[in-house]
Amino acid sequence: MANITLNINNKEYQLDADPQMPLLWAIRDMAGLKGTKYGCGVAQCGACVVHMDGEAVRSCVTRLSRAEGKKVVTIEGLSETNNHPVQQAWQQVDVPQCGYCHSGQIMSAAVLLRENPNPSDQDIDDAMAGNICRCGTYLRIRKAIHLAAEMQQKTAKG
Amino acid sequence: MHLPLSRSNLLFYPHPYHTKMSLSRRNFLKVSGLTGTMLALGYYWKADAKDAEIIKATDAEDFGVELNAWVHINTSGKVTIFSHRAEMGQGVYQAIPQIVAEELEVNLNEVNVVFAKGDNKKYGSQITGGSSTVRTAYKNLLNLGATAREMLIQAAANKWNAPKTDCYAEGGHVYHRPSKKKLHYGELVVEAAKLEMPKNVVLKKRSEYKLIGKPLPRLDTWMKTNGTAVFGMDKEIPNMLYAAVERNPRLRGKVKSFDDSATRRIPGVKDVVKVKMGVFSTYREGVAVVADSTWAAMQGKKALKVVWDDSGFEHLSTDVIYKRMSEALKTKEGLSFKKQGDPNIILKYAQKKLDVVYETPYQYHACMEPLNCIAHYQGDKLEIWGPIQAPDWVQDFISKEMNIPREKVIVNMTFLGGGFGRKAFMDYPHEAAEISKAINAPVQVVWSREDDATQGPYRPGMMYRCEGVVKNGEIDAFKVRLAGQNNDHWRSGKKGEPNRSASEGFLKPYYETIKNLSISDVPFETPIPTMWWRSVYASTNGFAYESFIDELAIEAGKDPMEFRRMYLKDERVQKLIDKMEEVSGWKSRKQNEGYGMAITECFESTVGQVVKVSRNADGKVKIDHLWAVMDCGWYVNPDTIQAQVEGSIVMGIGAATIHQVTFKDGKAVDNNFSTYQMPRINDIPPIDVYVMDNEEQAGGVGEPGLPPLAPALTNAIYDLTGKRIRKLPFNLAEV
Amino acid sequence: MKPHNTTKPSRYFPTKTVFALSAMLFITAAVASAFRNKEEGPVGKIIINKDSIESVKAFASVYKVLMSPRCMNCHPAGDVPLQGEDSHLHTMMPKRGKDGTGVSAMKCANCHQETNTPGLHTPPGNPKWHLPPADMKMVFQGKTPHELAKQLIDPNQNGHKNMEQLIEHASDTLVLAGWNPGEGRKLPPLSHKEFKKAWITWLTKGAYAPAPKPQ
Repeated sequence: MANITLNINNKEYQLDADPQMPLLWAIRDMAGLKGTKYGCGVAQCGACVVHMDGEAVRSCVTRLSRAEGKKVVTIEGLSETNNHPVQQAWQQVDVPQCGYCHSGQIMSAAVLLRENPNPSDQDIDDAMAGNICRCGTYLRIRKAIHLAAEMQQKTAKG
Repeated sequence: MHLPLSRSNLLFYPHPYHTKMSLSRRNFLKVSGLTGTMLALGYYWKADAKDAEIIKATDAEDFGVELNAWVHINTSGKVTIFSHRAEMGQGVYQAIPQIVAEELEVNLNEVNVVFAKGDNKKYGSQITGGSSTVRTAYKNLLNLGATAREMLIQAAANKWNAPKTDCYAEGGHVYHRPSKKKLHYGELVVEAAKLEMPKNVVLKKRSEYKLIGKPLPRLDTWMKTNGTAVFGMDKEIPNMLYAAVERNPRLRGKVKSFDDSATRRIPGVKDVVKVKMGVFSTYREGVAVVADSTWAAMQGKKALKVVWDDSGFEHLSTDVIYKRMSEALKTKEGLSFKKQGDPNIILKYAQKKLDVVYETPYQYHACMEPLNCIAHYQGDKLEIWGPIQAPDWVQDFISKEMNIPREKVIVNMTFLGGGFGRKAFMDYPHEAAEISKAINAPVQVVWSREDDATQGPYRPGMMYRCEGVVKNGEIDAFKVRLAGQNNDHWRSGKKGEPNRSASEGFLKPYYETIKNLSISDVPFETPIPTMWWRSVYASTNGFAYESFIDELAIEAGKDPMEFRRMYLKDERVQKLIDKMEEVSGWKSRKQNEGYGMAITECFESTVGQVVKVSRNADGKVKIDHLWAVMDCGWYVNPDTIQAQVEGSIVMGIGAATIHQVTFKDGKAVDNNFSTYQMPRINDIPPIDVYVMDNEEQAGGVGEPGLPPLAPALTNAIYDLTGKRIRKLPFNLAEV
Repeated sequence: MKPHNTTKPSRYFPTKTVFALSAMLFITAAVASAFRNKEEGPVGKIIINKDSIESVKAFASVYKVLMSPRCMNCHPAGDVPLQGEDSHLHTMMPKRGKDGTGVSAMKCANCHQETNTPGLHTPPGNPKWHLPPADMKMVFQGKTPHELAKQLIDPNQNGHKNMEQLIEHASDTLVLAGWNPGEGRKLPPLSHKEFKKAWITWLTKGAYAPAPKPQ
């Protein structure tokens, strides 16, 4: 056990925890932010994706020792009012079914759109193939990302 | 009446997929509910006017006055509609309010939706399976909304001392037409609750609907985009501990002994206890590690050393299972499920016959949310929270197993991160309850993905031997024998009877036109627990039946679509075929394109699919496009239907071309998505979904889109390549 | 195309096959001159002691290692890394990206940590985990011994490495990761020490490439 300081959604959390513990469990059980999900524990499904210094890392395999000193953003911190273009597009297209994977899907899509503001279907597949959705909402994910790209561009133009 | 197998007289579980829930059967039954005695008249109604009172679930939640079990309105006019069924993605959290609000005359976006607790005396069956919620409950739900509305109008008429005919309801208010006065429902509800319930309310015509039939946005989407939707995994209760359980990997085995010395040294570990859980008619055993965090519990579990008792049952491997099924189908006629004419005689003397075997694998539900459950045992009372498909079954099961009065077992549903049939069982809540009792503290049991993937129950693996004779371009004989585990044997079903789902998926109109037909079930068992998996036997039967019909069509020299037309003379199916042809361009296909189609029936809905395939530049077969046509009769939300069919197709693609559960030495081999791979976004072709418009009886929506995928795909591959695929899963890249 | 059944040096140098040997000398001479003008003596701190037979023999060992899944899986012919002992395409199809570290939400380091993640079928780790970049793909998959040897010493294909840097590369942390592959993964066919020795022998004996087409 060690004293570890985590910065999650711009808030400092002082933890007494095993540095080998995956970030996921600190986010869920210690910070109490339950939007980030456990799906597989082995970086296969993407339900646990959070942003760490802007990258869409899988918190289930990211140890606290790596997360310390970095800026972690979870689904709860992605926007103030559920209004990130990706969140808005997700709502407009009604993407989620059971919804369990969508925190991770949205966090992945947000990084895609930051790096590629106008992604093609192929770009979307390349970025999103790491996120499993058992309900099979993939077609809507594709559609919503295109919509989010449009929204983002409109906002940028002012 | 079926009886449970070994733990006799325990419980009878009605088959949710076959028993059409009709609350009206309970007419005039006195039942007790939240606020005292209620009289059920085709639905559940609080009949005792004196009991009108404010209902509070917690101090924070003011649901208001109960007008009936589904509808509460508080005095400021806030309407709460209860969902008595589980929301696992299929959209009841939307559909139930959309139906009730239509007749209640309230705006859907102003309605508060709350999951009901388990209580089938109040709500009727709550098992969320068999795509049953809308199809079995919609008439009752319409009546509930309409009756409550009429009560509110009557209360307003009384207040204004006006004739009821001068009053009408709209947008959560009652209006007095002549004077244009209005009152909101909150101002009327206390009086309304005291009124006699009108017996015969007039329901709206479909043309008058403002909500039903419209692609309205889902009510739960916003909370599923910002992380606030509470799944079982996310629920917390005060002083809750966490448990991870090492269960016998051989599914039927027991714990012989265990060494927890290393486990107890892990910081955070509080206790280690042996635990059992009921899996229908048997028990499964394991060792639970209880800790102050999920991670500590998981680490503690890894450090356990358990010696298992694996005696008393066979340790089977997949190859042995299928070899036995194959042998049985070679020699046994099986138990007759359906027979007309005499296919055997025709087959015996036919000069040419088709005799082929189709094979489908065991499958795992793979909900994105692994199993989990919170239990708080408090001596004479037990409370459960979790992602639960059948809260009433959990209540009954735990009550019997743990000897606690049923009404003292309180079962709360959270959102479910997928269900697909798996979360309809009582094993994981029961296990949580036993752990809570053993440690005398509230506990959340979290299954790892590996636990979830290797413990079953699974969709049973199946084999189908199909024999047929074609004469003069027509089917002269049609004989199907199936072998595979019967889910009923795990639940309650009698042995010695054919699998009652032997024809699930097969369209009934075929019975009218195929004169010599037989379907039989060659009984087959293994110690592997099996259970419903989205669309149940239709998901495997459909592959065999609709592939075989395709083979017979080819044998007859007929276009497969025309062949179906010949044999499916039902008017609704003919219209469905028209639509399939129209939207898919079936008749205008190009060279180098393979087209395949299949039509299956599942939970009272019929779905037809057309798949188009071609070859990549590197010669590999790829799916180019999919068209699906759904006829589910009366429906609530076309967007939900589209989503469900899209999702069913994705799940169907996975089961047909990507994954399967295999067993080695009595254990499931693949334990996570690294080897039990899942369909991903780059596996999915464009899908167009069409919904037939009619006012027939409502059919299911969540499952019927799945069964046609596999046969439509393999039929398309045959069309392109001449290669007939009879075994699932197959690798598209290797065709 | 599976790069199994790799070279057996004895097949390249049967004493009776004069033709094969002379063809080899011709090719390796060309390769060597592309590498350094000097054909003998010291190159920087490294002593080149030409011996085509010893060099090619050593390369056979090098090749076995480089074509084992631990090395080849990150030197794929396409833009998706390979996985497993059968070198199948990496599940979820992560793409190389411009600099070899992946694209947008699918960067190598999103899953691959500084060290191996415990457990079977979990992401192996290394602080530098990446593929060769898009402009220098350094493909191993599908390469014959001849092709691979030539590629490895061609600065335009080897990441602009000279002899010294190539020798140092044998102890690169990402090369070493092949010998710390994480639970359940097979090690390369030689130990790292044996590999390094073969690698240096191959290079310092003249970096000869085996004949283009054995037999």
